[in-house]
Amino acid sequence: MSVIKKPAMKGVQRGLSPTPFHDFLAPMNLEQSWMDWAGFLSPRHFESIESEYFAIRNQATVFDVSPMRKYRIAGPDALTVMNRLVTRNVAKMRDNRVAYSIWCDEDGNVIDDGTVFRFTATDFRLCCQEPQFSWLNDVAWGFDVEIVDESLDVAGLSLQGPTSYAVLKAAGFNGVETMKPFDIRHFDDGVTVSRTGFTGDLGYELWVPNDKAAALWQHLFAAGRIHGLKPVGYEAVEMTRIEAGLLLPGKDFQSSHHALRSTRGRTPFELGFGWMVDFGKGHFNGRRALLKAKETGPRYMVVGLDIDGNKPAYDALVYHRGKVEAGHVTSALWSPTCKRNLAFAMLKAPYGIGVTDDLFVEIYRDKEGKWEKGLARARIVNRRFFDYPRRAATPPALY
Amino acid sequence: MQYDTIVIGGGHNGLAAATLLAKAGQSVLVLEKGAQPGGAVGVTRFKDGGSVPRYAHSTIALGRQEISDLGLSRHGLTGREAPLSTLLLSDDGRHVYLDGPSVAYADGAAHPDAAGFTALRDRLSRFADKLAPLVAAPPPQLEGGDWREIVGLAGLAFGIRRLGAVDSREFMRVLLSNVYDTVLDEMDDSPLAALLGVDAVLGGRQGPRAPGTVLTLLQRLRNGGNRIVPKGGMATVVDAFAEAASAAGVTIRCKTGVTAILTEDDRATGVETEEGERITCGRVLSSLDPMTTIRLTGIGQFDAEDVRRVRNIRTRGAAAKVNLSLSAMPSFTGVSDKQASGRILTAQGLGDLELTYNAVKYGEMPETPIMEIVLPGRRDAEMGATLSAIVQYVPYDLQGGWTDSAKKTLESKVLDRLEGFAPGLTASVQEAEVLTPVDIETETGAPGGHWHHGELIADQMLMLRPVPGMDRYEMPVSGMYLCGASTHPGGDVTGLPGCNAARQVLKGLKKRAAA
Ligand SMILES: Cc1cc2nc3c(=O)[nH]c(=O)nc-3n(C[C@H](O)[C@H](O)[C@H](O)COP(=O)(O)OP(=O)(O)OC[C@H]3O[C@@H](n4cnc5c(N)ncnc54)[C@H](O)[C@@H]3O)c2cc1C
Repeated sequence: MSVIKKPAMKGVQRGLSPTPFHDFLAPMNLEQSWMDWAGFLSPRHFESIESEYFAIRNQATVFDVSPMRKYRIAGPDALTVMNRLVTRNVAKMRDNRVAYSIWCDEDGNVIDDGTVFRFTATDFRLCCQEPQFSWLNDVAWGFDVEIVDESLDVAGLSLQGPTSYAVLKAAGFNGVETMKPFDIRHFDDGVTVSRTGFTGDLGYELWVPNDKAAALWQHLFAAGRIHGLKPVGYEAVEMTRIEAGLLLPGKDFQSSHHALRSTRGRTPFELGFGWMVDFGKGHFNGRRALLKAKETGPRYMVVGLDIDGNKPAYDALVYHRGKVEAGHVTSALWSPTCKRNLAFAMLKAPYGIGVTDDLFVEIYRDKEGKWEKGLARARIVNRRFFDYPRRAATPPALY
Repeated sequence: MQYDTIVIGGGHNGLAAATLLAKAGQSVLVLEKGAQPGGAVGVTRFKDGGSVPRYAHSTIALGRQEISDLGLSRHGLTGREAPLSTLLLSDDGRHVYLDGPSVAYADGAAHPDAAGFTALRDRLSRFADKLAPLVAAPPPQLEGGDWREIVGLAGLAFGIRRLGAVDSREFMRVLLSNVYDTVLDEMDDSPLAALLGVDAVLGGRQGPRAPGTVLTLLQRLRNGGNRIVPKGGMATVVDAFAEAASAAGVTIRCKTGVTAILTEDDRATGVETEEGERITCGRVLSSLDPMTTIRLTGIGQFDAEDVRRVRNIRTRGAAAKVNLSLSAMPSFTGVSDKQASGRILTAQGLGDLELTYNAVKYGEMPETPIMEIVLPGRRDAEMGATLSAIVQYVPYDLQGGWTDSAKKTLESKVLDRLEGFAPGLTASVQEAEVLTPVDIETETGAPGGHWHHGELIADQMLMLRPVPGMDRYEMPVSGMYLCGASTHPGGDVTGLPGCNAARQVLKGLKKRAAA
């Protein structure tokens, strides 16, 4: 039923693996700053985080997303299996569309989030952070589908920023102008483009078989030079992710498959993902538990915070009226674009649900070897902090 | 809605559940795919008019409570019938005979281990009676149990304390231990030692050295561990369950296999039969195993974790049945007719049992099969000269598959073994019926042809039976329940899974009515 494609490997390989774009990334990585992303060498930053951040917001950038897990779910029962897996209704998607979704365990706790690529009703791709092969096989057991782990076969580039459309046009991706957000389009040389991304801005993701990765890179950079195309690392992408209001599993919540303590799982309702749960589509994994959870109400709530001052509230505790502990900050930054001090926080009920005012965060600062703490007032706001019309404009503007 | 409840499968557990629900005022329909109810309790009739129990040939530890709750005594099964005696055949001719409390050689001579054996059996029986309340109720709930159950459990713990310091420590020591060590701590290996081993592993795919085989033994030693066959044989047992059901107002429809369980909005609403008929109801009780029940409903209605747990239930059976029609009653050397009128075992010792078990691990047939034999005609002359043998360990997954010639090989192995104890038996065979685990699966639907519809051993018992989350007979789809041998406390002709399930349904209804 399922196929694990073994990577071609000589001898025992040690350490992190290069991605198919590594030969291009390495010479550009002036800082030689690398990190481990799912066993791959992934750039943390190339020169300075600030310049990369502003490039994402003002020109065009690529981030190598090849380490993402990619699974192909194909066969007569593919639609049934995908709908059994995720909480959204995949039957409502049109072909060649992408949907951001989550999937839950039997207790209704979120296992992971990711993007569902519907090529046809019998052919899907799931893109996510955590390995899901065995879980997919559990979900698909008894159904007529083939699950292939494509993680090591398909390379990905996330092309983000206001001039990303101009780069694609210059690179000859004809027809890209009619692509709406979450559309998929197939181009020559095995390149599949989806209008998706982590930055909350205009952007695309380009997917190619590994052996076509080098050609794609060269082609894009040749066309993108005058549009300011440059590679960016994780740190800058992370800033834009928070501005865009996107949660990161492992940081903003724990995957229920990693949580050893039974109370650490979080339901979609507690993560603000209630809109992605479609009870009307028939049974899906965790549905019964989610119906119950909906009735009992959330035990926690992830909220967006707008915080006084300009000191980022990293790892801060959140207090109600400055006294009662209400939760903690999971992600934080000073947003250079919004000019606001922003954070996501996990609050314990009733905070963030019934009780939403009089919140403070305790910010810790290391002042040259001396820790100082201060309380700053925080207001709960829509966590989609950065939301510009150019993200969704079709056709996008040719900056 | 045509019925309050539909029960799938007219085995004795399906019938028992139906009876209790009907007695509580529900309209109940039992749908059975076979030509008659009974499931693995049935009769094979030979051409010459003789008959033999097709599968089960005695009831084991059948409880008074179930007999009285179901009203079985009005239909010929009182439970007060004299228990079967036991004859242990020995290769050296020194057979052992047990009747009531007496343990001696078949020739009347005293057995050196009689006292040790009796003391051990009595002690284990005392333990078994302490555990008996666990069996006649849904398994204890670890979370969210109500106070009555907690009081019940406390009572159980108190009962164990009351065994006294020495006994209660011994109880805890042996509970999850293996029957091989537990018995051989007290006596030398012999056919007598093997008796407790056979009681522990009969019907399972475990050797006597497997941990947990003391627990399975204790389950069989409840109620004195009595094997009972009423007048009229196993046909009377089936009839009693079926008649009790009918008397309670249950409708039993045979030759009506269920092909689908229908649901609406996550609730069981009816079934579809082989003929395509749809029958609606308020709830469905399935006496089939959880995987079959899930498949009938649609895998997609169940969470992946549930399906994974159910997929991993060990269900490969290891007991076959060989039924013989003979031209004359077999005569076992050195054994009186009376001594051959109960159960007859061929295991030479716990070591023999364990070695015989080895082959099944590799999908091989045993060289000298272990048998529990009953000669129905010795008690009921009208059944004629027939022989009923439960044969172990016979692999479900035989290497090369169960071809006709493989079945013939099994038959001759059985006959060779019998011939040694009863010379001339082979020549007197007129008809032989070999039912392998695969045949049993095909005929009754029991997965793997398994006696218990799923291995009965510590990690698949109590709240782990059939799997956590379904251990209270309720399936995740509302209005859907399990009520067969796959559930707590497992197989054997006890009616307990069926009765427990029905009581659980009624308890739920009462709770809902009160709310
Ligand atoms: C060879 C053998 C020997 C045994 N000997 C003994 C013994 O001596 N003593 C003892 O106590 N126990 C014995 N057992 C065990 C005992 O017979 C079983 O544990 C018990 O019969 C289980 O009862 P049940 O009602 O749960 O299931 P079953 O008796 O298996 O009944 C299930 C019923 O469901 C029906 N069914 C299946 N699929 C469908 C469908 N789709 N639609 C409708 N109906 C369906 C079947 O036809 C069957 O009638 C023996 C078992 C075997 C296999």
